[in-house]
Amino acid sequence: MKIKKGFVVRNVGGECVVVPVGAMSKTFHGMINLNETGNFLWEFFSADHTVEEGVAALCAEYDVEESVARNDVQRFADILLQNGFAEE
Amino acid sequence: MIYEIADLRVFLDNRYPFTTKFCKAYEAEDQSVPAQITASVLPEELEEERTLSPGFSDGYIENICLYRSLCLQIPAFDRMLMHAAILEYDGSGYAFLGKSGTGKSTHTGLWLQYLGGRIVNGDKPILSFSDREVYAYGTPWMGKEGRGCKAKTPLKALCFLEQAKENKIRRLSASETTSRLFNQLLIPTEEQAAIKTLELADALIQRIPAYLLSCDISEEAVKTSYEALTGKEYKPKGENL
Repeated sequence: MKIKKGFVVRNVGGECVVVPVGAMSKTFHGMINLNETGNFLWEFFSADHTVEEGVAALCAEYDVEESVARNDVQRFADILLQNGFAEE
Repeated sequence: MIYEIADLRVFLDNRYPFTTKFCKAYEAEDQSVPAQITASVLPEELEEERTLSPGFSDGYIENICLYRSLCLQIPAFDRMLMHAAILEYDGSGYAFLGKSGTGKSTHTGLWLQYLGGRIVNGDKPILSFSDREVYAYGTPWMGKEGRGCKAKTPLKALCFLEQAKENKIRRLSASETTSRLFNQLLIPTEEQAAIKTLELADALIQRIPAYLLSCDISEEAVKTSYEALTGKEYKPKGENL
């Protein structure tokens, strides 16, 4: 999975904020607010990686059980794919 | 025609006379100095706005689109549009924010009634960021009620409004402010302008304290916001006479 082009990510008021730009802004209006894990995964999936690679990366970065991490990464991937923010 | 809006020289490329009259007070005295920004409207933008605002004249529609065109270009000049009512009191600017219908006009109206001051922009101020101050500007675009003046004021606080039966106010954390503020900003879709707007929004949140005012339409509502925003004791203007 890889996050599509057309987003800018910035820290605003201590929050990680994502907004669409260019062509992406025509299909998606609004903003995404990422928590720390979301921010980490957003950066990770800005390059093409599998969900399993995401799980490994998350476990390496944070003290988290693999089953919990897999759940989180799968949910993150589902949301991104469903909304058209990422492609397989 | 070139205008001076938010300390920028702006060429408004209008085809209908509506805007010329609408912006009359902001005409630049010296038309020979080049503009920093040209605001113009494409036919398809006009068409899109026409479907959003049915029943309005072409000149009015074009006028809305011109402000949008201008505001999408101002981030490069450390400026952005923020939907708010700006009230100036005692030389300081206070921004009142909230969804349409939460009572920005009513609350600022009560403030003027009990304390005085003036409205700099009732609806769509431009903010500028310098090292020392964040300024809010009066512009020709100031909402349906047309409350505002050709002036700028140093912004000292943001005050988000919500209607309530009891009057109370509290300071908002940076993250609380972020989510509330985003609904009131125009985020450009051009990448560099979008990045700049997010940076300016961050600067605004870091530099200007934000509050959440729950209020009714009584004098106590004014006392509540006044004392929190200014840090001073409430003295309505009648008592000073």
